[in-house]
Amino acid sequence: MSAIGIRLERLSKRFHHRVQGEVFAARDVSLTVAAGEFVTLLGPSGCGKTTTLRMIAGFETPDAGRVFIGDEDVTAVMANRRNIGFVFQNYALFPHLTVFENVAYGLRVQGRPTAEVGRRVGDVLTLVGLQGYDRQFPQQLSGGEQQRVALARAIVIRPRVLLFDEPLSNLDAQLRVRMRSEIRALQQALSITAVYVTHDQEEAMAISDRIAVMNRGSIVQEGGAETLYARPASEFVARFIGRVNLVSARVVAVDAAGVEVEVAGHRLRAVAPPPAPAPGDTVRLVLRPETIELAPAGGAGPAGIVTERTFLGEKAEYQVRVGDEMLQVTRYSGAAPRFAPGSAVTVRLPAEGVGLLREGA
Amino acid sequence: MLWACLALFVLFPLAALVARAFFEGGRFAPGALVAVVRDPNHLRAFGNSVLLAGLVGAAGTALGFLFAFTAVRANLPRPWAWVLDATAVLPLISPPFTTAIAIIFSFGPRGLVTYQLLGLKGVGVYGLGSTFAAETLTYFPIAYLTLKPVLAALDPNVEDMAFSLGSSRARVFRTVTLPLTVPGLGNAFLLVFAASLADFATPLILAGNDFPVLPTQAYLQITGLFDFKGGAVLSFVLLVPAFAVFLLQRAWVGRRYYVTVSGKVGAQTAVKSVAAWARWPLLAGCLTVTVVIAWFYALLAYASLVVALGANHAWTVVHYRVIFTEGVKAIRDTLIIAALGMPLGGLYGILLGYLVARKVFPGRRAMELVSMVNYALPGTIVGIAYLIAFNDPPLALTGTALIIVACYVFRYSPTGIRTTVALLQQIDPSLEEASSSLGAGSATTFRRVTLPLILPAFFAGLGVVFIRSMTAISATIFLISINWTLITVRILENMTELSLGPAAAFSMLVVAIVVVVMAALSRLLRQFRTPGRVMVASLLGG
Repeated sequence: MSAIGIRLERLSKRFHHRVQGEVFAARDVSLTVAAGEFVTLLGPSGCGKTTTLRMIAGFETPDAGRVFIGDEDVTAVMANRRNIGFVFQNYALFPHLTVFENVAYGLRVQGRPTAEVGRRVGDVLTLVGLQGYDRQFPQQLSGGEQQRVALARAIVIRPRVLLFDEPLSNLDAQLRVRMRSEIRALQQALSITAVYVTHDQEEAMAISDRIAVMNRGSIVQEGGAETLYARPASEFVARFIGRVNLVSARVVAVDAAGVEVEVAGHRLRAVAPPPAPAPGDTVRLVLRPETIELAPAGGAGPAGIVTERTFLGEKAEYQVRVGDEMLQVTRYSGAAPRFAPGSAVTVRLPAEGVGLLREGA
Repeated sequence: MLWACLALFVLFPLAALVARAFFEGGRFAPGALVAVVRDPNHLRAFGNSVLLAGLVGAAGTALGFLFAFTAVRANLPRPWAWVLDATAVLPLISPPFTTAIAIIFSFGPRGLVTYQLLGLKGVGVYGLGSTFAAETLTYFPIAYLTLKPVLAALDPNVEDMAFSLGSSRARVFRTVTLPLTVPGLGNAFLLVFAASLADFATPLILAGNDFPVLPTQAYLQITGLFDFKGGAVLSFVLLVPAFAVFLLQRAWVGRRYYVTVSGKVGAQTAVKSVAAWARWPLLAGCLTVTVVIAWFYALLAYASLVVALGANHAWTVVHYRVIFTEGVKAIRDTLIIAALGMPLGGLYGILLGYLVARKVFPGRRAMELVSMVNYALPGTIVGIAYLIAFNDPPLALTGTALIIVACYVFRYSPTGIRTTVALLQQIDPSLEEASSSLGAGSATTFRRVTLPLILPAFFAGLGVVFIRSMTAISATIFLISINWTLITVRILENMTELSLGPAAAFSMLVVAIVVVVMAALSRLLRQFRTPGRVMVASLLGG
């Protein structure tokens, strides 16, 4: 079966809030997911990502806009006619049915012959590593096993698309890492289109082809993990994905290759999102903590004082005061020299390729 | 459809009752009501009713708290906890007169204790004291069942915290345990108060002439004097405090009930709030009550097997022969009515519970409220209301089995409704969405997912309707006829004819039937795996 994509056209959903009155859970959300692509909706709680996912599934009806699965407009189609696989945050396993019957549920609804049901359920339980669990009840399983049953139940009906609503948030940290690579591997093996919702930026970066960052009901930026990290289009995205220093700077020159800016008396090259700024504009540099280096005092670059150092194993995190600003700096263990709190240091900013935000973005 | 049923069997009778109380020949005439309110006898009955209910409420709540606290907090060995549960369950599944009969057997003019043991003569057992004692022993289990989950839900870590801050046990009890139980205590008091206010069987037998209460007065007005209007007026007077308690209890529970559910349960910790030595006095207090209740039932069993308790103690089975010959019609009628009411009550319970908990429609809260009305009101009122409403064409149902079945279904299904709602609240809506995403339509989803999960509520509702069909009297005594009679009514008749032997035998039979059916039902319940266990206690909760 060849995969098909999903297209959302200006989806909006309002609801009534007890304090704020009418609010938009989703506002003009447009998104195209290519066939076989893994797209994650990422954002803080209340940003509308789950509402958007539930509109794709058909659990919520949009107030405006359209949902396409493949070329079919499914906006008015009931959830049970959309042929989608949905994995819930709480797994939503049927507590009165065995593992086998949970997975078989969708096939039985379709009225498949018993032999086919047995074969397909057996296959998919093997696929998720749960052979021999047929007769267990959900409450007898661990969290990870329940997650696998939920996954098996969603894929056994060969859905057109797979939808995940924060499926790993109830698992402990190690299991979460393992399950996310299993989910990714499964999606690749089945080459099925997937939309995944999470508030965990690391999970989003690890699992997706592409990420759509949402805030207050709207998609604020979409792109690959590395693009979003290196070239955030707004302060919200810059701060939501990874840790960041936003440092004020002044544009001194603009040319075809980029922008030259001045910060604390030093010049460096940055890449500005269009439209390009003009010389003299004030902008903010997107300085990721691991792109800043520390050297003993007296070198070329802004002078600073280490105020705090936190050792975290493979890396150490520093707080460095430079003038009025506090910079977060991450140095990986190994060759990097150690600076105790109180040390005077020279801060070396990256010479080029720095991201840049205009004021107010 | 459901609204039509509710209107017909809940609102219409109540309206008929109020109309009968206020209107005379089509004109508004509150004169009768005013006359009743002015009548010093009735005023005294009103005062007595409220006084009795207040005393029973306080004592029953205290006793219930003692039992619940001992059961939950005293680290009792299992068999003892079981004994406490059994003690509390027995009065709930017995016909309404058992305690009253046993008290007369024990302390009456020819009682085993007063006459035979102590040799006292002419002892006056009738009056406030004995009625109070009998009702307290009959209704404290309601408080016990209300308070036990409240105390059990109290996280011991909270008490541990108070200990770690240097509190003594007594101080922890006074400053932490008790304040957190206050909403539960209030709720228990109101429930016991309402039960006592509504009770008509115990005062009928024990209160005597010097201590009239409203439900018995209303009953005598109708059966003795055939004065429907007087009965209606007295019922209306009783309706006022009963309805006030109902609304108060709803408001109270609605506001505070979930306070005790703290969400995250901390690490399991042993309960330390009761010192090791203190367990035994607590247990002894409970066991005293247990012994009294066990004595009552043993006495009842004994009375059913001897010729005449207090006079001739020769063994005999003649009383059982009587109930299985003369009484067989009552037994058969009761079982038929219970068998008809059971499935209807169970079905009605889950249907209404499902609508109220899962569907959004105008008048949903009103529907829930109305469904609780017959349950909350004293049985005497419901019985008289049915009698007035269904006595004349076009709805002349008096004398049929249908009216008795309807009365039971609409009066005792709220347990099923509440259990359904409670179960549905534990069932995440995502289960139904999961079913839908797998291709199931809403009918399939209901049949294959929702229904199996709320089946325990169906059995719980069915069980309560059955138990009440076997044991209730207050409403249905007005609805029996030559065609359809009930065991409980036969017990009352036997009592008034002073043939206590057959009354005791009937009571034993009812207890036996109920115990057997309950055991079968709880076996059945255990067959179903459900997210939230339905405790047998909730089956009995009222």
